Amino acid sequence: MYSSTPKRRRLKILSWIVVLLVAASAWFGWYEFFREEPQPEWITADPEMRFKYGSIGAERDAGIPYWIFYILPRVFADKLPGPGGLMSMGVSWEMGQELPVGFTKKVVGFERVANNCAACHSAAYRVSADSNPVFVNAGGGHTLNLEAFFRFLVDCAKDPRFNADNLMREINLVTELSFIDRAIYRFLLIPITKKRLTEREAQFAWIYHKDFPEWGRGRDDAMNLTKYFMINLPMDQTFGPTDMPAIWNLKKYDAPGTTMNLSGDSHDARSVVIDSALGLLGAPPKSNDEFLQQVDWLLDYLRNKPAPAYPFAIDQARAAAGKVVFDRVCATCHMSDRTGRRMALSEVATDPGRMESWNKDNAIAANKVVTDMGIERKGLVEASLEGYNPPFLDGIWLRAPYLHNGSVPTLRALLEAPDSRPQQFHRGYDLYDPVNVGFITSGPAAERIGTLHDTRLRGNGNQGHDFGTQLPFGDKDALIEYLKTL
Amino acid sequence: MTTPSTHWLARWMTRRWARWLLVLLILPTILMLITALMVWRQLRDDQPVVYASAEEHFKYGSTGGERESGFPYWIFQAMPQVCSQHLPGAGYRSLGLIFENGKDLPIGMSKRRYQGVERTFLNCAVCHTSTVRDDPAATPRLYLGMPANTFNVLAFQQFFFNCGKDPKFTKEYVVPEIDAMMRAQGMKLGLLDRYLIYPVALALMRDRLIMLSGRFDWANHQHPWGPGRVDTFNAAKVLFNFPMHRLPAEEMNAPGDFPAIWFQGPRQGMQLHWDGNNTLVEERNKSAAFGTGTTPPTLDRAAIGRVETWLLSHEAPKYPYTIDTALATRGAPLYKTYCANCHGAGPRDFSGEQVGKVTPLDKIGTDRRRLDSYSYDLAANQSTLYAGYDWRFKHFRKTFGYANAPLDGVWLRAPYLHNGSVPNLRELLEPAAQRSKVFYRGDDVYDPVNVGFRASVAEEGNRAFFKYDVSVVGNGNAGHEGREYGTALSQEDKAALLEHLKTF
Repeated sequence: MYSSTPKRRRLKILSWIVVLLVAASAWFGWYEFFREEPQPEWITADPEMRFKYGSIGAERDAGIPYWIFYILPRVFADKLPGPGGLMSMGVSWEMGQELPVGFTKKVVGFERVANNCAACHSAAYRVSADSNPVFVNAGGGHTLNLEAFFRFLVDCAKDPRFNADNLMREINLVTELSFIDRAIYRFLLIPITKKRLTEREAQFAWIYHKDFPEWGRGRDDAMNLTKYFMINLPMDQTFGPTDMPAIWNLKKYDAPGTTMNLSGDSHDARSVVIDSALGLLGAPPKSNDEFLQQVDWLLDYLRNKPAPAYPFAIDQARAAAGKVVFDRVCATCHMSDRTGRRMALSEVATDPGRMESWNKDNAIAANKVVTDMGIERKGLVEASLEGYNPPFLDGIWLRAPYLHNGSVPTLRALLEAPDSRPQQFHRGYDLYDPVNVGFITSGPAAERIGTLHDTRLRGNGNQGHDFGTQLPFGDKDALIEYLKTL
Repeated sequence: MTTPSTHWLARWMTRRWARWLLVLLILPTILMLITALMVWRQLRDDQPVVYASAEEHFKYGSTGGERESGFPYWIFQAMPQVCSQHLPGAGYRSLGLIFENGKDLPIGMSKRRYQGVERTFLNCAVCHTSTVRDDPAATPRLYLGMPANTFNVLAFQQFFFNCGKDPKFTKEYVVPEIDAMMRAQGMKLGLLDRYLIYPVALALMRDRLIMLSGRFDWANHQHPWGPGRVDTFNAAKVLFNFPMHRLPAEEMNAPGDFPAIWFQGPRQGMQLHWDGNNTLVEERNKSAAFGTGTTPPTLDRAAIGRVETWLLSHEAPKYPYTIDTALATRGAPLYKTYCANCHGAGPRDFSGEQVGKVTPLDKIGTDRRRLDSYSYDLAANQSTLYAGYDWRFKHFRKTFGYANAPLDGVWLRAPYLHNGSVPNLRELLEPAAQRSKVFYRGDDVYDPVNVGFRASVAEEGNRAFFKYDVSVVGNGNAGHEGREYGTALSQEDKAALLEHLKTF
């Protein structure tokens, strides 16, 4: 009959073969490039681990193939700020862990490395020179040299040595990839990674701007990051690097009237988490539902994460005396209905760089980007900025250096008149200074590891907030003791 | 349908020239296939020389290091002839390597045919085996697992770097040398080897040696380690290509003594390495195996596993000289009072509250360089080693002191303290101020009176020993002193304690 003629039968077999081949290659393509494997349970089951190493979905678009990421610090050690591989960029790296805190590893077709919130929100401190660092989840990443990290990736990709021959040679020294994986790395992942990282150069133009000082450890120019990466605006001349903030205990922002971020730029914590996470993703989420579940988890974790207790002894009597001073001098702004609310710059008179780096139009544009992704949130405040919000002071001891731009090294220095505060100091060293309350900012180790903060440079000014600077010495001492208890 | 006789190919093949063309096409194809097969077989070739006994395997067995780092065997043999000016004396012996009778390679070097070329490189024994002479005239007695007191690893390394850079390290010099050596053994250098394999191998090896000499250049700017010592954890930083010249000065000049590595079984879980930076024997071993040229994909796990297993139960050798039993017995309670808590109850009983734990530096007071050379940055980076394998490193930790080690075979562990700064046990029981300021290391003549190696002789025949100066950075001999450490005991008590320690 119809189907039994040999020619037709042959055709039928042939078309089946074609269908199977197409299906097999589609499966192969999906398997090698898109299949997603869940992260191991030691990460997903423990909230602290999940915050440190859990994927927020950034691997899909912003992920770097694992083995490329692995060998970059070895091949391009000359492009790092110092010896020590990734450590030279001040990452929080727990001994025994394969990746630093805030670096996530996930299989999307192949293993990829990306970042999560903890990359910038993990604070390291050491109680003595002869001790190992303690890492505090949700603390401000005061050691992280984010600018160096951004530059490192771009600089590596731009280097002619970033080619398949060199990278494969190094990869083959550390692992045994299958024939197929080798081919995928050589012919696809290495060239694509080079291209993708090089493409970022234009967006990162301002971190190579000759007239802008270095952010230094523990700071980033957050609003400009938003402008150039989220809204894709052309580079302007604003510059406002600020401290990586501590993001614990976000419950405090439930208080009505509070706005978030240094200038009160955002309506609520959820919006900030969404916008920051989108920044890490580098692309719209694959699934908004999945993304928002992730956001909900983060928000829940951060709302309930308490500020860490001061790790040294506190003189309780003196602290009690300090509370009286605090209530008289500080509480008006830092423990009242003014806390976490907008305040005019003229009241605090600190460096205006951060405030000037963002405006109403930017807020409208950024909100539109997120709305267009189909994500609902209260979002950024669509109004001109006025100044800086007086912050809540929970865990203030670990928020050093102080002021929004980290221009004052210690609480003791903050209680000095602006003219008497240190003009230069090194920031990003993790040894704690319980005498001055802050981190050690001078001496050979601080100077080798830290980055120099010069308050005379743009965006770095240490003026303003001269509250309490006229207090008698004893009051200052007591006040500092009290602040340790917060 | 067409009939076979009229098929175009069949018609075509009736022409003679076409048949010839076919032959001409097929023949080269077959030849290429054969060549490809040969090359493939060559590349797959991976045959270590294996040894039946655990001892021979320890001395000459492979760790897999030849695969990535191996020297072509004949080039290795020719180098001392070609580059004799870079050696302190005649042949590899002058670097303190030990040759057993009739062996073509020193103890601590293994052989493997890999990708068609016979290669050789280091194994564990090179740093963990040495000899003892009872007197200068005596035949050296071999002890496996003891610190390689006579081996100068820095000079070994520098010899290869210097030779690699030498204008004579070319086929013009090396290949004829190989030819002559092979002839002397009744072998013949093949044409392929002469004109292709060795010239290419030499070029590759020169490239590699120049690269490595760059990465190890920091070692040229250190105070010489002398025989029996290595700057382990600065060398470990090379693995990550840390820019060594940018490291803080406090981390440099940090040599430690080669340790004895016998009887590892009871040591599992103790803080291992001088500063106690790792608690897992297998991880410590794999870490050390990087020094034998292995990389994660090339480590011969079965072979190193064999060494590992043997070392678990291979016990320290007994003291071979007379022991005054009465005196030693009198020393036993002193040992118990002063030493046992940190160093273990007895020679094979390592119980004790502080055994295998770290004593903080301010308490032990010994030279801090070795401790400071092991930085937090390094510990963090080491967690990436063996990534992708189930045995990825997870146990390296930065510490802040030196670990209390059991004392089995302590008589063979001289010189003492982590940096080998105290020549013998007798001196270790004296306060630092009374210990030798200058002595000589690298001698294998034993000194049973002071319990340690002869340390007063500068040279013997054509063999010059290493002048150890405790005032050099990293060489400090302070610490492990004071009442608690027995340095305030009476001379009689010290003598008794010393005698007791010989029983370990």
